[in-house]
Amino acid sequence: MANRKTILRIEDMTKRYGSKTVLKDASLSLKEGELKILIGPSGGGKSTLLQCVNFLVKPDKGRVWLDGEEIIHSRKKELYAYRQKVGMIFQDFNLFDHLTALENVQIALMKVKKKTREDARRRAVNELERVGLGDHIKKYPAQLSGGQKQRVSIARALAMDPKVMLLDEPTSALDPELISEVLDVIINLRVNGMTMIMSTHQIGFASELADELVFLEDGNILEAGPPMKMLSDADCARTREFCSKITELYGNSF
Amino acid sequence: MIESLTVLYGALPYLLRGTLVTIVLVAGAMCLGLVVGINLAVGQVYGKRWLRNLIGIYIWFFRGVPLLVLLFLFYFGLFSLLGINLSAFTVAIIVLGLITAAYQSQIFRGAILSLPEGQLKAARALGMSDRKAIVLIILPQALRLSIPGWSNEYSIVLKDSAVAYALGVTEMMARAHFVASRTYEHLPLYFSAGLIFLILTYLGTKGLRVLEEKLRIPGYSR
Repeated sequence: MANRKTILRIEDMTKRYGSKTVLKDASLSLKEGELKILIGPSGGGKSTLLQCVNFLVKPDKGRVWLDGEEIIHSRKKELYAYRQKVGMIFQDFNLFDHLTALENVQIALMKVKKKTREDARRRAVNELERVGLGDHIKKYPAQLSGGQKQRVSIARALAMDPKVMLLDEPTSALDPELISEVLDVIINLRVNGMTMIMSTHQIGFASELADELVFLEDGNILEAGPPMKMLSDADCARTREFCSKITELYGNSF
Repeated sequence: MIESLTVLYGALPYLLRGTLVTIVLVAGAMCLGLVVGINLAVGQVYGKRWLRNLIGIYIWFFRGVPLLVLLFLFYFGLFSLLGINLSAFTVAIIVLGLITAAYQSQIFRGAILSLPEGQLKAARALGMSDRKAIVLIILPQALRLSIPGWSNEYSIVLKDSAVAYALGVTEMMARAHFVASRTYEHLPLYFSAGLIFLILTYLGTKGLRVLEEKLRIPGYSR
């Protein structure tokens, strides 16, 4: 792990809304194949941090490097090219409601990557089969379950061949029974070496899979470290308190 | 009674040619209003402050000044001042189009704002420019939601089109008036004119209803 190259580096990311600072000097770096999991109370800045990484939220301060190259987000072309390389999964899926599952995956391949309709279709079908939705490609989002929707959104992101995936509480909007079908897909990504940052409250899942847990509260990264240490023996008292509470609530396994 | 019917029967082809003028007038104005209105709405939602202010003034102006005043202003005033020689028919289409654009823009704006903001975010996250995201993701959904309001706007423009008569456009109402004042058969002629308007309203709103049903996204309950 130590000699793998760094894929993504974030430095001093800061975001304010009016006088409220929701993210303060957050820095993070991600090596190839690494999975870092953001934990912490709601409103702590996890979502803002993830959305600052691909500039869906424009940070007031902070720099981002992908593969050693700094991204200047005011240069539109550069920004759009960068976003193609950073897949994003949202808590509430954000599938395009007027398009079928197939079209959801296909559209960016055609309109952003400029693939032909046929190539885009082949790739989209492939990705949808990979997340177990080969039989549902003609369905519209409103005809799919939450778990299926989230899997379509993962297929949509993967079709762009991202170097990094950002997952913003991908299972928080799901019924308990549907959580595992999405987690299985994420585990698969992990096994295949996808580099990822994910925020979640599934602490059992986090502790088994993550290389590192990052604890965020009030916009500050309070502590980061290997899951075992974070969960049982965190340096910061607040981290310990949060981890023990959430372990109680969600259990140790998944 | 028989005399009235004979007059009406004789005038019918003349009235129907006027109906065709009305249809082209309304179709032209609605299309112009659609194109301009979509642009106004997008500008008002996503544009910079100066653009939003400019659009605000446009809407204020075209919603605030009466149709008849605008028709005279453009036909006798603006266009002759600029030395542009347009027929009364063309000016009527332009003026009706610019007015309905102001109203239509608010239908579209409301629809755009009703979409979850995640739609735009997801599009951006895939590397789409804002223009692509709006054209491919936002508008197809917003326009679907706009059909009921648009259908309402159609019936208003249809009725407003009768005012084009004041510029000398020989649309249906103008023709009814000519015949009525020559034959003194006021009641049957204006009754027929009203009836034709009712039929056009029915056909238009019905057609839009069918379109709405055709474009409905599967899986949504009514």
